[in-house]
Amino acid sequence: MKKSFLDRKQLAIPYFIYLVLFVVMPLLVVLYYGFTDGEGHLSCYNFTAFFTNGKTMGTLVYSLIIAVLVTVICLILAYPVAYILAKGQYARKHSFLMVFVLPMWINFTLRITALKEILTLLEGNLAYHPFMNTVICMVYDFLPFMIMPLFNALTKLDRSMIEAGHDLGATFWQVLIKVILPLSVPGIISGVTMVFLPAMTNYVVLDMVYNSTYIMGSLIGSYFNSYDWNNGSIISAILLMLIGFFTIFTDKVISNKEAAA
Amino acid sequence: MMKMFSLKSHLCIIPACILLALALSGCGGESSDAVVLRVCNWEEYIDEGGWDEDEVIELDDGTCIAGTDSLIEDFEEWYHETYGVRVKVEYSTFGTNEELYNQLTIGDVYDIVCPSEYMIMKMMREGMLEPYSESFKDTENEENYYTRGLSPYIRSVFDDLSIDGEQLSEYAAGYMWGTLGIVYNPEEVTQEEAKHWDILLNKDHFRRITIKDSVRDAYFAAAAINFYDEITDPAFMGAADYHERLSEILNRTDPETVKAVEDILIKAKENVYSFETDSGKADMVTGKVIANEQWSGDAVYTLDQAEEDDVMLCYSAPEEGTNLWFDGWVMLKAGIEEDEAKKHAAEAFVNYLSRPESAVRNMYYIGYTSVIAGGGSDIIFDYLNWNYAADDEDEAVEYNDIGYFFEADNEESNEKYTVLTTKDQLNRQLYAQYPPASVVDRSVVMACFDDESNERINRSWTNVRCFDLNKLFGRK
Repeated sequence: MKKSFLDRKQLAIPYFIYLVLFVVMPLLVVLYYGFTDGEGHLSCYNFTAFFTNGKTMGTLVYSLIIAVLVTVICLILAYPVAYILAKGQYARKHSFLMVFVLPMWINFTLRITALKEILTLLEGNLAYHPFMNTVICMVYDFLPFMIMPLFNALTKLDRSMIEAGHDLGATFWQVLIKVILPLSVPGIISGVTMVFLPAMTNYVVLDMVYNSTYIMGSLIGSYFNSYDWNNGSIISAILLMLIGFFTIFTDKVISNKEAAA
Repeated sequence: MMKMFSLKSHLCIIPACILLALALSGCGGESSDAVVLRVCNWEEYIDEGGWDEDEVIELDDGTCIAGTDSLIEDFEEWYHETYGVRVKVEYSTFGTNEELYNQLTIGDVYDIVCPSEYMIMKMMREGMLEPYSESFKDTENEENYYTRGLSPYIRSVFDDLSIDGEQLSEYAAGYMWGTLGIVYNPEEVTQEEAKHWDILLNKDHFRRITIKDSVRDAYFAAAAINFYDEITDPAFMGAADYHERLSEILNRTDPETVKAVEDILIKAKENVYSFETDSGKADMVTGKVIANEQWSGDAVYTLDQAEEDDVMLCYSAPEEGTNLWFDGWVMLKAGIEEDEAKKHAAEAFVNYLSRPESAVRNMYYIGYTSVIAGGGSDIIFDYLNWNYAADDEDEAVEYNDIGYFFEADNEESNEKYTVLTTKDQLNRQLYAQYPPASVVDRSVVMACFDDESNERINRSWTNVRCFDLNKLFGRK
């Protein structure tokens, strides 16, 4: 029989083209601008300047504080929900999941506009608590992105493991901490990556809740607005490196765990 | 050897023929003789037509103006009727001057664009602009609505501006202009407070005032606060060269001034509601904020919107001084490429927009103020009367300090151009749209700073906006 002219490898071609054109090339452009000066000479000045400038470091710290807070709160809120959804004994499980993920279908600026009205009712003047409102709105915005991967990880979790834990006399909390949590680490990690980076850069949320302090995203934008492509690019590159380190680190954690098991 | 050469050149002819054929077929069909004009303008900055049927501006002399189709469509039709050549306008929009500039440097090509004064100067300095032709400036030609109709005041402002020895007016045709001021709610803020830029630092209005999220607008307001004592000194204000000196002071960018301005902006950041790009207008109407820094054109829009919700807002151009800004049409060398037909269409486009009827349509539609005064036609002034004249003559007050805009150096012009309007218009839309001479006297154009100053200001702006690490460790 003649082999089909499309074998499996060739099916990857469309995505490969997409990857090169829209992921790899822009990244190279970003790196080029990041590591050259205004005249196009190779330079690490922008890179070192970022870490020696108190103000840009201040922005990094501020973004990190926001991102960590948002991620932790999302995790605390999402975990029980995902667990109940995944392990609960009831019909129409997926319809319930839908309810929690539904907000993702609505544009986030619209959702935050609505949330702002509610917050205004509660607080009065939103500008009194810009930091708190930023965290609240980001948690609201990114929660579904945490629930989804956790739900997937917990559905795959083998029920017999939990039962084994109980049979061996562990309490509910012991099972949770010693069995369920370790087994859902991959879900936690993918949830965290999906929330953490957007929380560091999504400055639209800050604009909308009247927080006038820059985060990484707005800092990048401000450099591009003043035609300083080099500094704008190096910050994007630094963010990329941060996320890269994070991914490598978490991969290590997972593979170590698997090796130990 | 010779033979080889000719063979080679034959080989070259084949692809050349293919290219030629492609080029010809590309121009074929409907658009065979159409000139394509690529226009890039601010968002919502032109009459897009579609007015309701009963929306007709009926002026005193019987002229009726309405916007059935968009001005762009009307221009295309008019150009074809007048010159027998089809023009296809490819219209696109931009959000900020910087965005437009970035687009142009990346390689987007437009024929004619409408940036603000400082960006025009920057583009001029970088040699991006195509000068207007001599025939465009000919006042004898009936079709030269721009040259004939331009307000003498705006003309004088243009004449004062030059870059590297070249006049701005060689390269730019004005479109809309205005002042920078404060929209305020008179129930919460007194008129006296709104007359000064330091309202931004007023602790009584903690977290209830917004400031523009734009380096230049924020810098200007803070500079006016910084030099308050100097520029409000009666001796200074009475000096013969007051205007030149005011302009010099409010355009200072030396390190000391930038630092002082930065300190003021840091204080302002702690006090204001937020730095806003677009939310200020809606927040004024809903009452979330009680005052905001605003361009006069947006102020008119905000006041109109608020009126529909039965909220009465006012506008003030602060006493210390205000920023006179304008947007203008400039042709780009990279787009025009010395194509005479295209340049003609671009200049005709500016002239069409400068017809008094077009100017009125734009003003009615977008709320900004056209640089056109009419040039022999009273349509613009009649529109002011149509828009702002008081219904009840007993309550009418005279608004009579705007003659400067319509006629140059004429003692009687103020008398001729007097609007009998309602009392509240003295600090509302009419005042915002056509500021009195007293406001214009203390308004200055903000120059296009040199690269070094720009870098200093941008760095200081980042300092204002970034999180201060010292705050985290409780150090001061």
